[in-house]
Amino acid sequence: MSIMKICQVTCFYDKSRMVLDHISAEFEAGKIYAILGPSGCGKTTLLSLLGGLDSPVGGQVLFQGEDIEKKGLAWHRKHNAAFIFQNYNLIDYMTPAENVALTSKLPPLSILERLGITKEEARRNVLKLSGGQQQRVAIARALASDAGVILADEPTGNLDEDTALEIADILKECAHQMNKCVIVATHANELAAQADVVLKLRKGKLIRVP
Amino acid sequence: MRKMNPMYRAMLFVWRKKGKTASLFLTIFVIAVFLVSCFGVLHASKRLSKDIRTSLGAAFYIRANTTVSTNENGQTEVTENEVHMTQKEIDEVMRTGEIKYCNPINYGFAKSDAIEFIPGEKHTKESSMGKVTALRFSALAPDFAEEAAVLTRGTHITDADTGKILLSEPLADANHLSVGDVLMLTHAELGKEDGAYTDEIPVKTAYAKVEVSGIYQWNTKSGSEKPTATLAENEIYASLDVLNELGESERGIYTGEVGFYITDPEKLSGITHSVRQLQSIDWTTHFIRTNDFQYRKIADRLASLGDLVKILLVLASVFSAAFLTLLFLLRMRGRMQEAGILLAAGIPKGQIAAGFLLEALSVTIFALLVSYFVSYGAADVWGRRLFDGLQPHLIDGKTLSAGGTGGVPIENYLKLSVTETLLLYLCQMLVVTASSLVSSILILRLKPKEILSRMS
Repeated sequence: MSIMKICQVTCFYDKSRMVLDHISAEFEAGKIYAILGPSGCGKTTLLSLLGGLDSPVGGQVLFQGEDIEKKGLAWHRKHNAAFIFQNYNLIDYMTPAENVALTSKLPPLSILERLGITKEEARRNVLKLSGGQQQRVAIARALASDAGVILADEPTGNLDEDTALEIADILKECAHQMNKCVIVATHANELAAQADVVLKLRKGKLIRVP
Repeated sequence: MRKMNPMYRAMLFVWRKKGKTASLFLTIFVIAVFLVSCFGVLHASKRLSKDIRTSLGAAFYIRANTTVSTNENGQTEVTENEVHMTQKEIDEVMRTGEIKYCNPINYGFAKSDAIEFIPGEKHTKESSMGKVTALRFSALAPDFAEEAAVLTRGTHITDADTGKILLSEPLADANHLSVGDVLMLTHAELGKEDGAYTDEIPVKTAYAKVEVSGIYQWNTKSGSEKPTATLAENEIYASLDVLNELGESERGIYTGEVGFYITDPEKLSGITHSVRQLQSIDWTTHFIRTNDFQYRKIADRLASLGDLVKILLVLASVFSAAFLTLLFLLRMRGRMQEAGILLAAGIPKGQIAAGFLLEALSVTIFALLVSYFVSYGAADVWGRRLFDGLQPHLIDGKTLSAGGTGGVPIENYLKLSVTETLLLYLCQMLVVTASSLVSSILILRLKPKEILSRMS
């Protein structure tokens, strides 16, 4: 049973260059999806459409069978989809706990602890944490929103190999143990190797890699 | 963990981003002090203009005109009419507008055994007399108001006085008279017979006991080619009852002239227009002479000063509002990432803008509070320094009634009232609100993806 679905989605760069050409796909809860492709192929655009940051020129984005534009993109972002960015995008004057509390429907400290951030670290300024820790906070923020879909755009792009593996494990755990639908746009083959489903975006088409 | 509502986010930013908060605080504080000072100057210039107008004042006099007629022999005759005004008519005039004081005057002549008058042209013992100007307030007499004469000792005559006179310094010195001395006056009337000046009342039947209330000095020199009775040095200012006692005037009827004094010269023409509509006064024999020439001399300069201050104030306000808007736009550019993160998290645009607005307003309120005390302290120091020398010394009712010439206490005109200050601060808060909202809208109107792609 798919949680998210895209039907005949079309999108352009600068109103002229088509990056997504009538693509369709289905995403299930409890699975991790990796979207691979060269830079500029439209991976981030696809995530933006799935997360309600943008609207497609043509086609539909459905969450649990309903067009996400019906209840509004802001509603979709608040309740259904959560983002994890390459550059973490944490608010710099807040502690990790406060960053998580921004979207929190669940207690932030327990989520942070589960992701390896101690209570003491959770009360420090977020900029005093390492890159890996900051990304864990970003993941915690996504989990705290209790959204069904987690969209991660190059989540390990700024991290060293060991930390990248740790983050990949956490994302896998989110999908398999917390029953989230995790969709990761990445260049990293190591991260793709952890995915249950690998999709390749090339020349506007989305192809499932066997 | 507290719920992350806009207020809590604003509090966190203000508390943790101390540098940014301090710079916003300082900017708003400086603008607030600057604007309060500018409005203080406007306030002071308005009050000073009013004071200058009040200190100059203006007056109008109801006088009798002269009648020119031709007699049976075909000769032209000029008749000097006498003013005839009763207290009832004066009260009617007083009710027409903002008239502060009325000073009816009766004229006559008097002699005294205790006074040797300063000799004038063709002086004889018989013609040794002085002109008596009986009035209600000697300080308002044209000679004193225009500083042709100045009181050097004692006090002026007021409406509460009876049996009081003012003598000129040369006359008092020549007769060894000083303030507090009591003497007897008798009636007299200047006449002319065969080229010699005479007293037309040779048999004295009326006397008035008077006390010297003050001594005055003439600032202008008068010629000596006048009869003794009309020499300026021999002029005696007296309370109204003195001429009544001497039988030269009737109580409640005024035959000299009646002066009416207003505090604001700008209102003179309106008031005299209303007075001319009064039916009880015979306008065929009476006319009004206005006196505001001192004000007219500076009216244009006062108006130019007011306009200049207003222009400066408009410029200062526009500049401050533009500066604040620019500042908020720059601040919002620095908050773009945060706006993008919050939008990506599904937080409504209204709540994001409210958070930014609450930050701005909390800093603004604090800055205005501090600026209130600082500007008032500064106004206190500078106001006294600046206006101590500039503020005109006004003759108020209390001083006039006490017979003195002192002014009202110096006020600090740079200080705005609490209501004016609150109004000014409210306007500043409105500008901050508008600037914050406009700068937020400029960012939040972008799609979240646009913001996030700009961030990356």
